[in-house]
Amino acid sequence: MTGTFPSPLRLLVGTAVRSMCRRVVSLRDQSWLLLALITAFLSGYAVLAFALFYGGLRFIGRFPGLGGLLVERLLFLLFACLFGLLLISNLIVSYTNLFRNRETAFLLTLPVPRRVVFQWKLAESTVIASWAFLFLIAPLLVAYGLVHQVAWHFYPMVLLMIGLFIGLPGILGCWLAVQVARFMDRRTFQVALVLGVSLLVAVLVLRFRPTMVTEESLETARVLNVIDRLLDNTRFAQFPLLPSYWLSSSVQNWGEGVVRAALFFFCVLLSHVLFFGMIAVLWLGDAFYEASSVVHSRGSLLARWDWFRRREERQRRSSDPIARLSRPVLLETLLAWRGILAPDVRALIVKDFRVFWRDTTQWGQAFMLFGLLTVYIVNLRHFTRQLDSPFWISLVSYLNLGACSLNLATLTTRFVFPQFSLEGKRVWVVGLAPIGLVSLVRLKFWLTSWTTLGVTLGLILLSCSMLGLDAAHTLFFAAVIVVMTFTLNAIAVGLGALYPNFRETNPAKIVSGFGGTFCLVLSFLYIVGSVVLLALGSPWGWRPESVGEFRPYHALASGTAFLAISLLSGAVPLRMGLRRVAATEL
Amino acid sequence: MIELEDLVKHFGDVRAVDGITLTVPRGEFFCVLGPNAAGKTTTIKMMVGLIRPTSGSARVAGFDLQSQPLEARARLSYVPDFPFLYDKLTPWEFIRFTGQLFRMPEDRIRTEAEELIPRFSLEPWLHKPIEGLSHGTRQRVAIASALLHRPEAFVIDEPMVGLDPHHARIVKDLLRERSRQGMTIFLSTHQIEVAEEMADRVGIIHQGRLMAVGTPEELRRRAGVDGALEQAFLALTRPLDPPGAGTAMAPTGGVP
Repeated sequence: MTGTFPSPLRLLVGTAVRSMCRRVVSLRDQSWLLLALITAFLSGYAVLAFALFYGGLRFIGRFPGLGGLLVERLLFLLFACLFGLLLISNLIVSYTNLFRNRETAFLLTLPVPRRVVFQWKLAESTVIASWAFLFLIAPLLVAYGLVHQVAWHFYPMVLLMIGLFIGLPGILGCWLAVQVARFMDRRTFQVALVLGVSLLVAVLVLRFRPTMVTEESLETARVLNVIDRLLDNTRFAQFPLLPSYWLSSSVQNWGEGVVRAALFFFCVLLSHVLFFGMIAVLWLGDAFYEASSVVHSRGSLLARWDWFRRREERQRRSSDPIARLSRPVLLETLLAWRGILAPDVRALIVKDFRVFWRDTTQWGQAFMLFGLLTVYIVNLRHFTRQLDSPFWISLVSYLNLGACSLNLATLTTRFVFPQFSLEGKRVWVVGLAPIGLVSLVRLKFWLTSWTTLGVTLGLILLSCSMLGLDAAHTLFFAAVIVVMTFTLNAIAVGLGALYPNFRETNPAKIVSGFGGTFCLVLSFLYIVGSVVLLALGSPWGWRPESVGEFRPYHALASGTAFLAISLLSGAVPLRMGLRRVAATEL
Repeated sequence: MIELEDLVKHFGDVRAVDGITLTVPRGEFFCVLGPNAAGKTTTIKMMVGLIRPTSGSARVAGFDLQSQPLEARARLSYVPDFPFLYDKLTPWEFIRFTGQLFRMPEDRIRTEAEELIPRFSLEPWLHKPIEGLSHGTRQRVAIASALLHRPEAFVIDEPMVGLDPHHARIVKDLLRERSRQGMTIFLSTHQIEVAEEMADRVGIIHQGRLMAVGTPEELRRRAGVDGALEQAFLALTRPLDPPGAGTAMAPTGGVP
């Protein structure tokens, strides 16, 4: 009897495949412009990444005597870092997929064994968390193959190895997600995360101290010593128990035609995937259900703390608890200063700040993006000691401008763009309030612009300081980032109002539509265009031989062009967005 | 058919369900009423095996939801207030998928579907993607799928949400009919008139406790009120004093 029915896992996989096919087919109904934009972006990435990897591998490979070693070490390092990233990605995706997913809850009420629900979610999470990995490293592996002139069978074999490799962080990430869910509530997890990241930063700071290179140490006899010291810092990637080590060794050996060694590492990888996969598939189902029950049974996190319980108790006993709760918070008091802002405007600002602060995703991503940039900029001081050429310093300062703006564009597209659509969903609260939707959109523009300006301006000033730039340079870059911050926010707010999606409640899905993609592309083009234009028309020259000459006419021309582009890119979408909002029937 | 025995659930310090004992026999139409955050949905979640009770047990058709989950769930159907459906499937594909998960042979799926689909007026939508359907139509698809395998126990949370009066009537009639055929129904609702019209017995949950169980008439008598069941409900769900205050209404939990 059992054999006559399809297994639940087969049914679930079939349903997922069918849903995915429908998604692909429904692309026909999407805007052709959107499809063209996405295709152009993906192809552009693949071509550009391939060109960079190909050029880079050839360049490094040409170092006399060291080329091969450097390429080998870079591959070990790359796969080790990607393994770490895949593990984090799998942990996050698995947690969401196992414990915050409506399909999982639905399946748990059906006569589907917990083990099967877990198996299905493990497979789904691994694919979701890892597909981008394949896309990212494909150009590198093709470039590696071409540079090393490998045999044709290198490519399918590498695909197979990578397919196996992504299984390990998938299994480990899923197991970690189950343990985190079982034993840590959100507060404990956040504290553990902060402690873990702090520990990691401390280890990195202690371990990776900059190596000072002097003229003396670069003499032929001693240069090997310096390189050895530098490479020593990357030796962790060659720890033989790391799965990335097995993958790198297998890939490189296969590329070099040492098939026996490649097969050995392939078998090591395969045996680990099978072993841990078997454990996960057979035994983690019950642990998953246990963790799921715990996650859905947690009480208030704050209520675990005595001070919070005492405060709650005091408020309950208070003769007028409403009066206590309605005391203005610090932000409200600050905004109310001298009554410059109207009460409704203040209320909206406070609401937006609260929503941002309480949404871990928003501030987490903002913190991560700008945190990484800050770490990089702070570390520039080590490089500038060795970079005494004004050309390189000038180049790095423009690249920093680009990096800072790109980070901002990521955030404005991800968080500012969907804001109007989300407000539209809550039309009964804000849309019908006397403030009006047009004022609301304007307010959002000013609020996000001023808030993000604090971060971008701070980073650019820090960058100038680390690079040791003079006051004129600093003022120039500060003025540029101010204009760019307002323009990027205007693009996001304007296009967000122009292409709203009131049906969707998930901001990530709103962003993935035509408007969001257009916003990202326009922001990207604006940043690239502006940075290139400003660098080429730099008042301090851009060629190595011309750096240092002051060129006022070049500066005037490029500055005017930059302002015109900014005005066009920012004001036009914002204006069109405001017009659209004024005519919107909600 | 449905047996809850001293069911307790803690959310941190909060006792969300506080020792509920209840037996709903085969074929009974049981409605549970209660204010917001009374513990109704938590009780249901334990009853369908979504969460583990802190203590106590829930059994369906004699099978414990924790120790024999597959046997219990094979005899059970649960429709939450906002049911999950696969957006990219069509109603027919979803109905068939559910039937297959319950190991129904294809011909039985077709026979049962042929009865349910016209009753829920799903023919025009049968081959259209679920993502394009209204909330009411989705709700009808969910209920039809859940009834497809003729469960022995049917647990439904707020079934009338999003349904127009015509389809609300159809759902009520169908559930009544199935109840007469032996299906046990456990319905949670805020609509007291639905409970009054449909239920053989009504249970009132308040602050995690089963305050009263009985026919609408018995509840009125117990509350000492005449007229609509609403009056009895309001009387039986007056805010309780905090534990330890000494003036709490004596719970009657455990009355089957």
